[in-house]
Amino acid sequence: MKEDIINSKNQAIAQINEIDNLNDLEQIRIELFGRNGKITNTTKELKNLSDEDKKQIGILINEVKNTLEKVIADKKNDLKVNFREWFDPTIPVKIKKVGHLHPTSIVILEMTEIFKNLGFSIMEGPEIESDHYNFELLNLPKDHPARSLQDVLYIEEPETLLRSHTSSVETRSIEKLKPPFRVVVAGKCYRFENVNASNNAMFYQFQGFALQKGISMTDLKGTLFSFVKSYFGEERKIRFRCKYYPEVEPGVGLDIDCKFCDQKGCSVCKGRGWIEMLGAGMIHPQILKNFGYNPKKISGFAFGMGLDRIVMDRFKINDIRSLYNGDIRY
Amino acid sequence: MKVPLNWLNKLVEVPKDVKKLTSDLTMVGHMLDKIETKNSETILDLELRGNRADCYSILGIAREVSAIYKTKLKNIPIITVKKIKELKNINLDIQTPLVKRVGMIEIKNIKITKSPKWLSDKLIAYGLESKNNIVDLTNYVMIETGEPMHAFDLDKIGNSLEIRLAKDGEKIITFMDANITLTKDDLVWTKGNEILSVAGSIGEKYHSIVSDTKNILLEAANYDRANIRKTVYRHNLLTDAGIRHEKELDPNMVDFAISRFLYFVKKYNWGEFTPEMYDYYPKEIKPWKVHLDFAYLNNFSGLTLNFNEIKNILLNLQFEIIKKDKLGIDVLVPTHRTDVTLEEDLIEEIVRIYGYDKIPTKTLSLEIPKNITPNYIIQEDKLRQSAISVGFDENISLSFVREKYKDTNVTIINPPSPDTKYLRNSLFPNLLDSAKKIVNERGEFVQLFEIGKIYFKEKNNYIEKRKIGFIYWSKEKNSFSDFKSLILTFFNKIDIKNPDYVSEILNFNFTNSYILKLNNNQVGFGGMHDFLYYVEIDLDSILGKENKYKINLWVKFPPQIEDLTLIIPEKTYIGEIIHSIKQTNKYINDVELEDIFENSYTFRIWYQHPDKTLVDKEVEKIRNEIIMTLKQKFGITIKN
Repeated sequence: MKEDIINSKNQAIAQINEIDNLNDLEQIRIELFGRNGKITNTTKELKNLSDEDKKQIGILINEVKNTLEKVIADKKNDLKVNFREWFDPTIPVKIKKVGHLHPTSIVILEMTEIFKNLGFSIMEGPEIESDHYNFELLNLPKDHPARSLQDVLYIEEPETLLRSHTSSVETRSIEKLKPPFRVVVAGKCYRFENVNASNNAMFYQFQGFALQKGISMTDLKGTLFSFVKSYFGEERKIRFRCKYYPEVEPGVGLDIDCKFCDQKGCSVCKGRGWIEMLGAGMIHPQILKNFGYNPKKISGFAFGMGLDRIVMDRFKINDIRSLYNGDIRY
Repeated sequence: MKVPLNWLNKLVEVPKDVKKLTSDLTMVGHMLDKIETKNSETILDLELRGNRADCYSILGIAREVSAIYKTKLKNIPIITVKKIKELKNINLDIQTPLVKRVGMIEIKNIKITKSPKWLSDKLIAYGLESKNNIVDLTNYVMIETGEPMHAFDLDKIGNSLEIRLAKDGEKIITFMDANITLTKDDLVWTKGNEILSVAGSIGEKYHSIVSDTKNILLEAANYDRANIRKTVYRHNLLTDAGIRHEKELDPNMVDFAISRFLYFVKKYNWGEFTPEMYDYYPKEIKPWKVHLDFAYLNNFSGLTLNFNEIKNILLNLQFEIIKKDKLGIDVLVPTHRTDVTLEEDLIEEIVRIYGYDKIPTKTLSLEIPKNITPNYIIQEDKLRQSAISVGFDENISLSFVREKYKDTNVTIINPPSPDTKYLRNSLFPNLLDSAKKIVNERGEFVQLFEIGKIYFKEKNNYIEKRKIGFIYWSKEKNSFSDFKSLILTFFNKIDIKNPDYVSEILNFNFTNSYILKLNNNQVGFGGMHDFLYYVEIDLDSILGKENKYKINLWVKFPPQIEDLTLIIPEKTYIGEIIHSIKQTNKYINDVELEDIFENSYTFRIWYQHPDKTLVDKEVEKIRNEIIMTLKQKFGITIKN
């Protein structure tokens, strides 16, 4: 019996050495250690032996078992490394078509996200507007000198026009909504412009406004700084200065440092070292009065910026016309 | 506004550091546009915003510099004039309230010469040509004080003048040789029927001074700003005088400007005059009162300013404090600050000089208002994400269409170019242009979508409707099926059930056209044009039609699945057959078209009961119902 066991062991080791795939190896493992395996059966026969033999053979079987298990495990590792089936993960494939958002949509989404976190809702309004909502209610009566900043496209002169800014949504919202509210609006606006690489008759604006008891210039400054820092980068320098807009009083202009020249002055910033980013201010008391509010009891702020330049800068587009004429290749 | 620094320095001490000066001016509201150097002189070009009429002058900018740096203005020499109500030889008739003030003075024995160098240099630095001493001096005083003035040839204008509204069709040739036909809204200076000048903007040629003029009538005036503005824009008269008179000028600058002019005439001995100015000033403007509440200032600005700080700023800006108590002050606004009429204007004055950079930065610490974003805006975002997830790239185009596509009743009456004249009535034309660009460039396939508005007029109302348009083109044969599959996948993604495709002939240039229906209501249309497939869906029609999201578990009892091959007559809509099969019995869970061979169509049918496994007999019964229905409705027979 002793010899049988040693023969079986040697035979098994020889067989295992010959093997070149995992399936055969598993087959041999079952032949040895399976329910009817050679080693398993030998173990079952132990009970028929004398106590002395039982002890001796028992030890031998254990040794053989350990040896064979180790040989099988080694072979298994060996096979995994050396006899792997051919597989090429570098094979080229066709990528499934997924779509892409327009750069302007991406910027609007990103900006909106920042303002949502500051408690702003999103609104929208008509593009075909009346002089009333686009100008009159915004403290821009006819023949106001500031009207020459905005030459509009008329559908019926002088009352029906394409909105020249998203501020028309501000007047509509103040009329419709009950304070407190905070709103951002992104949308198409139109101006009388001869189309060239840097001007288009249609452009996008991003506007925000808030109306709430107790809102002050510090809230405006904090909101805008928070937005500019999250969108353009914590390290950007910001200039918060006085600027006249008829819709606000006091009025604010906000510039950020020109990163093209590190503020040394270049053609992008016209030598100023700063890039004009947005206009803002506290909602003009006349506008609040137009809607029956007492400016001493409730206050608000508003801000607006052109989006196209930001989109062009972000996606390295040089010609404003490329944004909306189907030139963008995804 | 061009500000030559040497000139500014005559009126106020200018800091040596130009960069600091321009930065400080920018902070208080006068942004530096650019710095120029001309004949080694530094000239600031400041962007002015229209509300500060007083800043269209060197004096106005000097006042700002004086307020920023708390320095005194230098003395400006003048010859004080006595104001008189009548001139000896000239009568001026004014019937319109559009004239607020007129100052006039006769200057005799004028010596017209070349301007001295200091004078011509200053004008050239500002950007004006030098003509002769008298014309240059009117310009010089205008730039310095902001008050435009005009000199007539006294010997040509006669002795009876009038300022009145023109008659429609009256004509004038300006000294710039332009012909202008006036309207009844234009204010003019006249001598009988002859027009001498368009008030506030430009003089007539014949009556202006020339090299042999002997005597002049010098005038400075103040008019109704809005009227001048209309004239200036109507006739494109954006002259240096015009751009000042269209803003709210201070009428009290009239005599100051004339006095300043006389100072130079006397100093250089360019003419003779009696220091008496004819003054038409029916309603004198005096400094007005604005109240300032300290608490309001501090709450509104977020600053904490004490009275001394407020006082110093206001005094440096030439405001006067006439009354003070614990809560606030009454302030007298100098008449050149026509832009300051409200308490909030006063607050801006104080805060801008104190420094916007000193306002603390505090993110909205107030209660967060509730979210009021309307559903249709959320819908657009979802549609956009869904459209890209099924492979469409987003297109954004102008809201205008080219003339060849005009199918619209909304047009722009003042289009800057023919391409911006017609507002679109469908997203199709611009998507078509974009798609063709891609076909021509790469020619593999095109998948574009756009979300935007279309515009039309209905019963005198202008209507805007939000649409989503899909355009598709592929080299593959089964393009329509592929496109339809993508559109239905899109509907699946936005949780709206598949719309019905109903064949219909449309007005557009489409072949194979159809409309899309949901619950029997039209929600869109589609068709083919130049082998490009298009679908346009109305966003408001599908708004709120989304299925409530719910979880379905797998039914415990397995379905019986079998294929039925049917022989179908020509021109039968397959969609209707599938619809009919599904309607036959509620245990028909699903029907799919598996295969087509000639006129044989194989459908795969799932029979399934929610509470038990259907036995063959039960299935057979349902199958017979199907065959019966199809035979009656469509004349369909079952194969084999």
